[in-house]
Amino acid sequence: MSTKRIMKEYGECVADTPEGMKINFDENKITKWEVLLDGPDQSVYALPEVLSVSVRQGGHFKLEISFPPEYPFKPPVVSFKTKIYHPNVSNDDKGSMCLGLLRAEEWKPPNKVVAVLRLIQTLLIEPNPDDAIEPSIANDYKENYKEFEKTAKEWVKRYAK
Amino acid sequence: MALIVRPADTPSLAAQSIGIFTSDVPDPLAPTQDERRRPVTLGADISFQYPIQYNIQTLSSKDVEHGDDPFGLLFVPALQSDACKKAEAAFVPANATRIQNIPRNGDSYALIGFAPWFSPPCMLEYFQSVRKSDVKAVIVYQPGNSTDMPPIMNDASWGLGDGGTWKVDNDFPTYAIMAASGGIIMEELSLYSGNITDVPQSDDLLDIGLEPTDYVRLYATVATDSGTQLPSLWVFLVIVLGILILIILATSGFMHFIQRRRRNDLRRRVINGEVNLEALGVKRLTVPREFLEKLPLYTYSVLPAGSDHEKTVPQPPAQAHNLPSPTIEAETGVKTLPLTRRSSAPIATAPPTDTSPAFSQPTCPICLEDFESNETQVRELPCRHIFHPDCIDTFLISNSSLCPMCKESVLPGGYCPAKITNVMVRRERLIRRMQSRGTTHAASEPASSRSPSSLPRPLGSLGHRIGGAIAGRRVFSAPERRRSQPLDIEMGTSQAGTRSEPSAALPHHQAEASPAGSQIQDGAGCSEPTTQNRREWARERALALLGNNHIPTESDEEDRGPRWKRGIRKIFPGFR
Repeated sequence: MSTKRIMKEYGECVADTPEGMKINFDENKITKWEVLLDGPDQSVYALPEVLSVSVRQGGHFKLEISFPPEYPFKPPVVSFKTKIYHPNVSNDDKGSMCLGLLRAEEWKPPNKVVAVLRLIQTLLIEPNPDDAIEPSIANDYKENYKEFEKTAKEWVKRYAK
Repeated sequence: MALIVRPADTPSLAAQSIGIFTSDVPDPLAPTQDERRRPVTLGADISFQYPIQYNIQTLSSKDVEHGDDPFGLLFVPALQSDACKKAEAAFVPANATRIQNIPRNGDSYALIGFAPWFSPPCMLEYFQSVRKSDVKAVIVYQPGNSTDMPPIMNDASWGLGDGGTWKVDNDFPTYAIMAASGGIIMEELSLYSGNITDVPQSDDLLDIGLEPTDYVRLYATVATDSGTQLPSLWVFLVIVLGILILIILATSGFMHFIQRRRRNDLRRRVINGEVNLEALGVKRLTVPREFLEKLPLYTYSVLPAGSDHEKTVPQPPAQAHNLPSPTIEAETGVKTLPLTRRSSAPIATAPPTDTSPAFSQPTCPICLEDFESNETQVRELPCRHIFHPDCIDTFLISNSSLCPMCKESVLPGGYCPAKITNVMVRRERLIRRMQSRGTTHAASEPASSRSPSSLPRPLGSLGHRIGGAIAGRRVFSAPERRRSQPLDIEMGTSQAGTRSEPSAALPHHQAEASPAGSQIQDGAGCSEPTTQNRREWARERALALLGNNHIPTESDEEDRGPRWKRGIRKIFPGFR
């Protein structure tokens, strides 16, 4: 069942991809999606203007969405392949993100990947420091926003070109 | 008290007083004697009486039991060595009462030895001879004129050069009295040792009817009592320990009792339908198969008046049991508010004629497959959402008892999970407390507090506490930057979008449109929080994003923590 549903959702996603996203879909491995995400313009994750004078394109982030075999009864797993300075993304090689509807307890089968993608986008614009996976970054974000912005932009420059 | 371990030489049964009296003892061997005559204590006016109320030192309390105070006829024990006999002459009159002066009637008369403590070797000889005659006690004194308290038990002057083994060897207690009293009694012992005609006031004694063959002798009674003495350190510790254990037991029992009552109370409320454990996030429930079988199963049909007669059947019953369950739900409080709100989204988009909301769902929200008219079997939940039986059954059996669309419980009102645990009780109480606090807040807050986010607040706070306990890193605080607020609204809409996503009947933006609009209103209400509500507002925002996180698994809390903590929870249920 999960295969069928994933295929169907992919169809929907292709038809209505949220702005600034690109989904790389491998027919042989449909349970692992690779998503290319541009840092939203309003966020600190957009590429600094110096580097993108003409095209205001954001930093490019590579994400992986993997579907567990129990999908849609279990939520998909989101991980950032590109390093990102964000309170809700773990600062390790996993780059995992786990909050809101991505939580196992909160996930409902009718939720769709599109919703997950939108949640990710929203979180890039507005991180949720109160449910942070990286407390130090969350603290930076809350207490010292200037510093946070600076570091985040630096990281974008360094990793998310 | 049986636990008390007492050092061997600590007297616990100290002598409180010793009384010396004169007694008339019939001679058991005299042929004229009436066998039933018993010893009689003589009055103070015609004989010697000498109470000793103070200055008594207990040297050994061996073989003395409570309520078994030693008493017996006094006598001076015999010595063996000539040296001692010679030395004794200075302290003991020649005609002092000896064992030979006591009438023997088998061993019927109790005896108490009386001796001056003039030298260790002679004292050992005294004890040696006393041991042969089965005495109740020995009273000693250090010769002299002192009226002071005799030296304490451990004093060197009581040493016999044997390391104190005499106390162990003796099977009787030993008491010391002051020197002056000892002298007086010794003097009297020499007076009351002969025939009745030789004792003081013998005429008076004969006048009151004593037989001439009688013996008039001194005897002593020792009153022992530990009552007035301070208990030793050991006893004190044991008592404290005992009290402590008692308190712990009582508290434990009390807490068990309270917890049991709470469990029963919660069970009652669950059965009455006042509380839905899963909706509250207290416990994740699943639906047993037998309930699943009862849910209506029929063939999907889009035609309002289809040839399939089954289609018309489920409609009235569906409505029938749709009615009672939400009203019951309504009593649980806050939960239902957002519920009806959320579920209203798909219903509102349904055709106004509303033949049956179920038929406005052409797609199974779980597998996203379309239902085929007159072909697909569908299962309808009490909230009238329909699914493929395969899809929803898997979900209800293994994941949750709530409808994946609207979170309304599928379980009948009075269904209670087999076991109500203390953890469940604790969570439910916590949530209830948070809710009652939340409602008082709500009164003072703008409409925004009634937005869907007001639901997760108490749950979220619970999650906050649990989560905080686990990771210790979730902190709620007021927003500091106003600039983020418009973005919040956007967040809200996207959140609403994800929530109303299930109305798969419609294209995305359309489905989003109606709840999004209301959400923006909520957001607008949020965007101007009064200062005192800021914190609350920030929390709500965060929680809206989080949803009611952490429906903990069974083992989540009970098995958490080190062993001692689990042990304490066992002994003191309800202890945090």
